Amino acid sequence: MDFLFILFSALALYGAVITVTHKDMVICALHLAGSMLALAGLFFILGAHFIAGVQVLVYAGAVMVLFIMVVMLFDLKRKKETLFSKGLWMKLASLFFLSGLIVGIFPFSLHLFPPRSMETIQKTSTKDLSSLLFIDYVLAFEVLGILLLLIAVGVAVLCRQRPFLQTPSEKE
Amino acid sequence: MEIELNHFLIVSLLLFVIGFFGVLARRNLLIILMSIELMLNAVNLSFVSFSQFYNLLSAQVAAFFVMTISAAEAGVGLALIVLISRRWTQMDLFVLEDSKYTDPV
Repeated sequence: MDFLFILFSALALYGAVITVTHKDMVICALHLAGSMLALAGLFFILGAHFIAGVQVLVYAGAVMVLFIMVVMLFDLKRKKETLFSKGLWMKLASLFFLSGLIVGIFPFSLHLFPPRSMETIQKTSTKDLSSLLFIDYVLAFEVLGILLLLIAVGVAVLCRQRPFLQTPSEKE
Repeated sequence: MEIELNHFLIVSLLLFVIGFFGVLARRNLLIILMSIELMLNAVNLSFVSFSQFYNLLSAQVAAFFVMTISAAEAGVGLALIVLISRRWTQMDLFVLEDSKYTDPV
């Protein structure tokens, strides 16, 4: 279990770092997918099997296909932005403050949450989760369905061709 | 060394900070959206680890809702990115604040 935890968390952090720093958008998207899969592994060793499966389906499946499709729509041979191309000092300053955030929160969290071993994890089944989802939180679930419908309609409306969204070459 | 709750929280904190740095430092709109997804996932990891260690099953329902909302947000964000890059023919964040480009046609 220790080995699996270290493996999956190292994979997730590595994928996240490459996603943020690499200049090629395709490689960024693929490393993001790897990071999501490693997070699904972390959910699995926590015992949340349903959430792990949903993570693989939603992120590594649906969201990644969307990102790759959008990358495919554009010219990849254009000049690529690297992390250090412009505004280097502001980036170093934000890195400095964020590392301060890590150093500040880290000891605080060790005091706030007393250590609990993995043995305290009780076995939760998908059945319990589904009864919670479809009985106690059924209103939120239905509202989410309406929200997804609104999103689909809104994206369809946004992507219709309209005059002020044409490129300059299309207008002539 | 035994794995306990704080280790999961540390991984979650590191993922969140990496995503935050991506939002602050990158200028590519698509990578900013990917960094937002990373931050949402880090929060999801802390939700699920609290849920399992403290036996609070409703936190997993919250994680499920966060996943749904972030998928919806990725859909809208990618549609906006497609529109922006079709209008300004690039995917840089700072075309939006340059007054040369933002005149209504």
